[in-house]
Amino acid sequence: MRGLRQFLFRWQNLLGILIVGVFVAMAVSAPHLTASDNAESPQWIRAVERIEGTSRRVPLPPGPGIPLGTTAGGYDIFYSLLWGARSALGFGLAVASITAMLGTFIGAMSAYFGGLAHRLTLRVIDAFLTFPPIAAVWLLAQVMRPPEVLPPGISLQAVLAQLRVSPVMLALILFSWMPYARIIGAEVLGLKHSEYVEAARSLGAGHFRLIFRHLLPNAISPAIVLLARDIGGMVILQAAFHFIGLGGMSPWSWLLVNGRNWILGPNASLLTYWWVYLPATLALVIFGIGWNLLGDGLNEALNPRFYNGPMRWGRA
Amino acid sequence: MPLARFLVRRLLTVPVTLLVITAILYGIIMLAPIEVRAGLYLPRGQSNNPGLRPEVYLQNAIEEHGLDDPYPIQYARWAWRLLQGDWGWSPLLRGDVLEALLERTPPTAELTLYSILFLVPLGIISGGQAAWKRGQAADHGFRLAAFVATSIPPFILGLMLLTIFYAGLNWFPPGRISIAESLEIDAPSFRTITGLLTVDGLLNNRPDITLSAFRHLALPAFTLSMVHWATIGRVTRAAMIEEFSKEYIVAAHGRGLPHQSVVWTHALRNAVVPALNSAALSAAALVMGVFVIEAVFGFPGVSELIVGSMAFAPDTAVAMGFAVYSVLLVLPLMFVFDVLQAVVDPRIRKEVIEG
Repeated sequence: MRGLRQFLFRWQNLLGILIVGVFVAMAVSAPHLTASDNAESPQWIRAVERIEGTSRRVPLPPGPGIPLGTTAGGYDIFYSLLWGARSALGFGLAVASITAMLGTFIGAMSAYFGGLAHRLTLRVIDAFLTFPPIAAVWLLAQVMRPPEVLPPGISLQAVLAQLRVSPVMLALILFSWMPYARIIGAEVLGLKHSEYVEAARSLGAGHFRLIFRHLLPNAISPAIVLLARDIGGMVILQAAFHFIGLGGMSPWSWLLVNGRNWILGPNASLLTYWWVYLPATLALVIFGIGWNLLGDGLNEALNPRFYNGPMRWGRA
Repeated sequence: MPLARFLVRRLLTVPVTLLVITAILYGIIMLAPIEVRAGLYLPRGQSNNPGLRPEVYLQNAIEEHGLDDPYPIQYARWAWRLLQGDWGWSPLLRGDVLEALLERTPPTAELTLYSILFLVPLGIISGGQAAWKRGQAADHGFRLAAFVATSIPPFILGLMLLTIFYAGLNWFPPGRISIAESLEIDAPSFRTITGLLTVDGLLNNRPDITLSAFRHLALPAFTLSMVHWATIGRVTRAAMIEEFSKEYIVAAHGRGLPHQSVVWTHALRNAVVPALNSAALSAAALVMGVFVIEAVFGFPGVSELIVGSMAFAPDTAVAMGFAVYSVLLVLPLMFVFDVLQAVVDPRIRKEVIEG
């Protein structure tokens, strides 16, 4: 309890909680907005009724009914921004936690059983560390055909399509678990011969019980810190991938791609059409900041000896 | 010669790494439908092929290359072809995949190289400076700057810089070189020696081309440096602060050495090691950043094969070739950072050789 009070005492942590809270509120409120009549477009796009004397081709500035204006083509920015929070939270939480679970599992298993298995795992981790996830996106896209062209019947592709897993998602999961495995592995290695574990073992605890009841609860905290930061990082990577044309569209990155021509082109500037890029940009940056603040706070609270240490990983 | 032995040991890990990664990549493609896998084995020279999906060739490839064989056999056969330089033929590019990759390597190498030459010293020096002035204005400034740098996604930073410095002020242009200069470079009088325009410009006695190349490199290299600079700077700062509390520093002070030399020679030497380690660990993230930044700035490097101009999904041979090639870009970076650590810290050499 004292830890929690200390955690809440830092303004950085409060700010982080506040930011994440706002995004959660945005995500919850998104479905309550009036949806688009057009069933063709994605759920998170809403076309605004044409206003007399304006052109649909030019973005409309904020006004009554359109709090943040429209994109070129007459789509409501506020609407997509709220749905974007929903998509970002879902994507970030799903991808980061699956990655964390994968890495934790691999790290814990290899360190617990030790020996050759552990050495092999370390080799494999070193190999994975040389691979940038971005390079796997198209390869995975070749494997995961879109559901329309799938042959009927149960196949890996059908399952992935059913789960709505995109190549970007899979690339990020498959090639970002290594930090978790390294950290958890190091922690488990340090703990597995400690007295309380030996005591549990001598009382007849099995491998499964030892790993999940005794070792992991004490080894997990650095992974939680990494997880908090990864939630923001994964969303930013997804947006970056879509922005440069690798697929994996999300509402925020859709807004950015849509707005790009209006800030970077003939007669364009950052000031004229500020509403086409600023909301999505700020949302993305603040989303990342919020999770980073939470991660830093958790880091200080959970593992003081790692504070500001070499845990941070560069992100594209 | 412990350093030489370290080098050999470290070099021996490279084939293992390549084996693991290529085996995984081929394992992924084994999950794809057989026609997709056949795309790796298309016969070369289909330049006048009307369609992009040459079904007949696919059928031939399946029979000819035994794509129904078990995974290990197929993998071995494919890996052997890779080693011989046969990375497949792309009907989309109408060209050899390896050739296409090599052709686009110099711009990528140039961007990566200058970014690293900028960001690593900057990170180490600023991190060391912040640790030295811990708690003072310089330290607070450093921490704020590092936080901002890691919070802004590089592609957004790049877009903003382009808007301000290219569209607004017209100081720095996008791309690699202007059109007029690219014509001069393609002319026979300009000899391509290294492929790096900044170097070739000087070798050809054309400093203006070198200058122009640097002007084109400035924004992307700066954008790329920001995130990774902050990472290295933070690690250096934390490591320095830890070093300051150690006895050898107290002893050095006690011997009457000037504070400056204690900080910059004694402490920094030890603090550089974790910084280089973090650089080695995030080498893949750095290369990933290079690909993204190239796309944002229209820089014609290897990422051109998978993003932007292609606008649609590349074929199997390109996707696979790119994946393998990106590992070849990361490996030398990691190698250099690892070797530098061993050069600075003899304990690391020992660890690798004995363990």
